[in-house]
Amino acid sequence: MKLSFGKFSKAVMYKYWLIAQLFWQDSLVYRASFLMWRLRSFTSTLISLSVWSAIYQHQSQVFNYSQPAMLSYIFLTAILHSLILSTSLHSLANEIYSGQISFNLLKPINFMGMLISQELADKAINIIFAIGEINLLYLIFKPSFILPPSNTILIFIFWVALGIIIHFIINLLFGTIGFWSPDSWGPKFLFFMLIEFTAGKLYPLDILPQIIQKIIYLTPFPYLSYAQTQLFLGKVNNNQFLQTTLIMIAWILGLGLIYKLIWKNGLRNYTSMGQ
Amino acid sequence: MLSRLKIYYKIWKIIAINTWQETFINRGSNILFMTGKIIRFSMSLLFLFLIKGQLTQLGDYNTDQIIVFFLTYQFIDVLTQVFYRGAYNFRDKIMQGSFDFTLLKPIKPLFQSLTGKPDINDAIFIIPTTILSIYLISTLNIEITLVSIVWYILLLINAFLIATAFHILILSLGILTTEINGFIWLYRDLTSLGRFPINIYLEPLRLALFFIVPVGMMITIPSEVLLNLKPTYSIITAFFTGISLLWISLRLWNWSLKQYSSASS
Repeated sequence: MKLSFGKFSKAVMYKYWLIAQLFWQDSLVYRASFLMWRLRSFTSTLISLSVWSAIYQHQSQVFNYSQPAMLSYIFLTAILHSLILSTSLHSLANEIYSGQISFNLLKPINFMGMLISQELADKAINIIFAIGEINLLYLIFKPSFILPPSNTILIFIFWVALGIIIHFIINLLFGTIGFWSPDSWGPKFLFFMLIEFTAGKLYPLDILPQIIQKIIYLTPFPYLSYAQTQLFLGKVNNNQFLQTTLIMIAWILGLGLIYKLIWKNGLRNYTSMGQ
Repeated sequence: MLSRLKIYYKIWKIIAINTWQETFINRGSNILFMTGKIIRFSMSLLFLFLIKGQLTQLGDYNTDQIIVFFLTYQFIDVLTQVFYRGAYNFRDKIMQGSFDFTLLKPIKPLFQSLTGKPDINDAIFIIPTTILSIYLISTLNIEITLVSIVWYILLLINAFLIATAFHILILSLGILTTEINGFIWLYRDLTSLGRFPINIYLEPLRLALFFIVPVGMMITIPSEVLLNLKPTYSIITAFFTGISLLWISLRLWNWSLKQYSSASS
């Protein structure tokens, strides 16, 4: 029994591994597009580093951040964006609306498993390039980094994993718009804008006025990279460890439940009209 | 010549009215787009005002002057979007082969490709943001004269020419490589470096942003002139860059049209 399960899981894993490989091949068909995408990420990090380097020319402490803390924040956010905010689900809504999703639903493979392997493949390719870019930026700016307290590294990795799951479910929710409408770009654009200012590379959330921070903390945005950076920089106290972890798990459960209901409802209405 | 211009204006007007109607069909989506734009503008301004509260100087400029650089960037960026949003759909035309139909029409293909779909959201958005920008500038502690305003307007026209040239270059590259979307977004990102004075960036990036992708000529020089500061490069250099870039882009467009193979159709 144990052997057959092993064989089964190996075969299944191989199937998902093949999906990931296909995704990589597909991503690199239009190499220049991919290169441009990475160049864009590089440019936004470059802007932030340049602006903050100029700011610290005249002062050593701004918004309670020293220069090493701020530059560490920017470098870390750049890596976390590639890990947490990269996604392969951009076209899900369109695939549903156009009826293309039918092909995948008919295949003898778990649809969610397929989406997860594509998502992980996308994150893998992004993080490889991001590390290269970060090294290049390090050579340009030569910053001194703040390293995290050693007892928080495991929690940091756990929080990053939770951030990835929250972002994945949010993107699945955007995908479900395709069951009813071809216009998923409006909500996505708004989401990107909010991400830019609540988990962005340009500045950390805690420089904003208290009232804005309180409103933002009612949303999942701070958990998509800001919370992780604060943990890394040693700005989270013992009481906040558990509280933040529970909030992130609550978001996953809440959003997951909403997604499940919407997906079920959407599939019931789905007519594969475009095919 | 004048009658030809009238025809083109009439065509643009019809396209703009059609796009306007389309915008109102997708009301929900467009409201979200507009909300996103308002959030981006407000949060960027908030960041600058927060910076202003913390320091007096950023590079060689004071924080009031920095706000003028951002507002100039904002105006040029939105104005370009209003007119040249059509360029974003160009890749689909090339990929699907429908660019053949564009070539068959008795209107310049460049005009059709560039101005094919004005951005109505930005056309609406530019009005309140421009009024707000003028108001904000009037409250800042900066020195502006009538002469500096005239030069500023002329340099903004030059900035629009540079933006036009870039869009033409991107369309030409689109024909040659089919990678237009990546180039457009890269252009947008590089332009966004102009939110802050180009002089705060390190060499050789600074030099590249004045002469290879002349964002500095588009945003930094006009802002410096408005603020009565000595411009980093002369006004003549800015105009020369604008005109030569437009000339080069038109040459490249004509050449790339000859390379178009209609492979997708």
